[in-house]
Amino acid sequence: MERVRITKKIFMLTAIIGSLVILAMVVANTLWSSRQAVYATDEAVSAVSAFYLEAMAERRAQTITNQINNNFEHMEKARVFIEEEEIASQEQLRETLGKIKSLLSLNRFALVDEDNVVYTQYTTYTGRSRHEFLSREKMEDRIISAVTLYGSSRQLCLAIPTPGLTIMGKPFKACFVQIDMADIVNLLAFDDQGKTYFGLYSKNGGNLSGTELGPVISDRNIFDATEGLVPEAVWQETRDHFAKEEAGRLSFSSDGAAETLCYVPIQNTGWEIAVLIRESVIQDQIREISERSMSNSRNQIAFTLVATLVLAAVLLAELAALSNDEIEAEKKTSMTFREIANTDALTGVRNKHAYSEMEALLNQKIQEKKIQRLAVAVCDINGLKHVNDTQGHAAGDKLIKDACAMICNYFKHGAVFRIGGDEFAVILQNEACDALTEVLNALNRKVEENVKTNGVVVSVGSSVLTQEDRQLRDVFDRADQIMYERKKELKAMGAKTRLY
Amino acid sequence: MNPIFQKAKLLSTVMAAALLFTAASPDSHADGKTEFSSLSETESAIEAGANGGAAISKSAESVRSAVDFEHELDSYEPLKDHYTFYFTYKTVHPWWDAVALGMEEAQRQFLDKGVTITYEYMAPEGASADDQTEKLHTAEKKDYDVIGVDVADEAIISPVLDEMVEAGTKVMTFSSSDAAEGCKRIAYVGNTHNYKDGADLTEALCQRLGYRGKVAILVGSKGAPCHEDRARGAQDTIAQYGDMEIAAVEYDMDSVDLAYELTLKILKEHPDLDGLVCCNMSNPVGAARAIIETGSRAVIVGMDHDQEALRYLDDGVIYCLGVQDCFSIGFDTLQVAVKIADGNLPGRLFPEKTDEITTVIYQADAAPMLALLYGDIS
Repeated sequence: MERVRITKKIFMLTAIIGSLVILAMVVANTLWSSRQAVYATDEAVSAVSAFYLEAMAERRAQTITNQINNNFEHMEKARVFIEEEEIASQEQLRETLGKIKSLLSLNRFALVDEDNVVYTQYTTYTGRSRHEFLSREKMEDRIISAVTLYGSSRQLCLAIPTPGLTIMGKPFKACFVQIDMADIVNLLAFDDQGKTYFGLYSKNGGNLSGTELGPVISDRNIFDATEGLVPEAVWQETRDHFAKEEAGRLSFSSDGAAETLCYVPIQNTGWEIAVLIRESVIQDQIREISERSMSNSRNQIAFTLVATLVLAAVLLAELAALSNDEIEAEKKTSMTFREIANTDALTGVRNKHAYSEMEALLNQKIQEKKIQRLAVAVCDINGLKHVNDTQGHAAGDKLIKDACAMICNYFKHGAVFRIGGDEFAVILQNEACDALTEVLNALNRKVEENVKTNGVVVSVGSSVLTQEDRQLRDVFDRADQIMYERKKELKAMGAKTRLY
Repeated sequence: MNPIFQKAKLLSTVMAAALLFTAASPDSHADGKTEFSSLSETESAIEAGANGGAAISKSAESVRSAVDFEHELDSYEPLKDHYTFYFTYKTVHPWWDAVALGMEEAQRQFLDKGVTITYEYMAPEGASADDQTEKLHTAEKKDYDVIGVDVADEAIISPVLDEMVEAGTKVMTFSSSDAAEGCKRIAYVGNTHNYKDGADLTEALCQRLGYRGKVAILVGSKGAPCHEDRARGAQDTIAQYGDMEIAAVEYDMDSVDLAYELTLKILKEHPDLDGLVCCNMSNPVGAARAIIETGSRAVIVGMDHDQEALRYLDDGVIYCLGVQDCFSIGFDTLQVAVKIADGNLPGRLFPEKTDEITTVIYQADAAPMLALLYGDIS
């Protein structure tokens, strides 16, 4: 499989696209998480609301039950109180009823004799048509009933039988109180704080309390108001709950807002109390929470976006810098390797390989006539083999290095190459050629002195580029020939040299 | 003011506003002292009936003002701080329970002023002039400041009242039945236009029937002035139209069951009966039950505010009802009783006859009237 070459552009594109994809995923994930959080909050609020409503309904139902029980207890006390009083006239009876009213705080406490004549603190009246419970043939137990009086006033009537009670020689069958439903509503509104709705309902959904159960149901019959708002089966189930005096919950939507009400039965009354929380309050609170949450999410997304972009920019910059450094390092390494490849390890001057590269370069220039002046000096160390043979290679190497140093010292403006074991070439270009003769003379003088002192002896021959020359080799050959001539001269002077 | 009645007043105002929007008409009558609100309503109702639609009242006021729950005592300052009264009325019946509520409101307001009023408010299980006579004689022996009577039978009771007055007892009449003309009772508070009520209801019926047909009259208690007066009004009205005849006149003695049985009997004897004039509160209920049972097409007109009767009105079984302002009757009765107890006579402080209104309502008025009087308990 062919390997794809990763370029800097591909790398940069990959980095940018990858960053954007990751960012998009982060944003989408954050949005999804936010929405999930809102849904979860809604569900939690709904569950908590239902629980709260149920608790509130039960608390209110208990309040009514307590109120009813307290009244029954007070009525029993009143009955005992009356039995102990020696009442001989209607005036005394009214006085006694007045005392009971003030002592026991019983609203409209009344006694009923066997002829259904009702006795209150201020009036005595025939009451069978006015009080429904008096129409019953027998009254053996407590009676709780809601009555609507002429004029729409609704009252809670509590009655107990009074067997054995005789006043002014007349048997009395019952006593009762009538509590205005408005008082009960006020009692129930104690923890309302204007945020919840509640209503008392009869078994068939009639509103007993006259209170509004939210804007949809208002003060209407709860079944009339919810018919069509909820599925038929749910509606029927609610009716059954009311009929069987059971608790339940009813949810419906109105104007796009879901509303839930809880209802619980009130013991021994056949009534249900329903509580509905002010939906707008919950909605506002949820909306506020959601808005805050969404705002936080948006800020988080923005912050993440900016941070990621900054980070990506920094990373890309660093990556680019790193890439450049690596390229520079590679170049440097390459140059080092090239230097190593072109440098003579013993002397530190350029080697035969470097000379060949230079020769190729100069040959092209010579052919193109782009070079004006050029000179080549060929140097050969005399007596190297003798030193190697007699003093060892270390001494030979030292001789080579000393000779190279002397050559470099004299040809300061030329390029020195070691092109063989004891052979060096010096290339001089342009102005460096000016001092060629002078340098050669100085070097030769030194060499001749060294012959006498058994120092380093180098034979040097040189040549200058001519119009006829087609390549460097032509110049080199002439210089090499001259170098041989010089070697002979030096041998004659006593210098040690090898034989060719 | 009692919060119950404040609420009722508020409710009536709201209903009035609703009716104004739905059925208001500039020709709605407000006939000043004329208690019976019938004429323009009757015309509109007949018009609606002639067009084949349900009768629709054009007067929102007819419902709102039919029963006035907002009363305040006048500026009269009672001379004593305690009064005791005795009232007796025809029979145990919800109609007089409504009157009792008006009395109780007045008693509460007097109590707020530091005046204690105690009273008895008694009636027999069935209307009986003899029972009423006995009650009056018993009460006369006690030290009541004033004795009030809703006359069961003017022929029997009026002489009794005269004797009591002559003996120094302060006697007044109240509710729907005054004593006979010339009776020495001090004053009367209640319906002073029973004859006209009967005549107007019957006129509405006649118009509804196109002044042609056979009509029965259910009266009430024999001798009860209010019932007899209404019956006379009905008879006189029918007598004006040659194509109308009275098929039967029966007395239900203020019993719904008896009214039902009498209606069945009349329908059996006159299956082609076209209408029924009901002169009391129990008549229309019993008659409506019989009409529903037999499937008769007879048109019912009747009196008062019985909840069942109002539902029949709402359903279209009853054509129209004359509703009396029982609450005001009760309130004003107690107020006048205090003035009489202080030795005042009719004149500047109170009239010899304190008039209370009757309002004819039709099918469209039934629901708001039910709400006004009985709330929304279904």
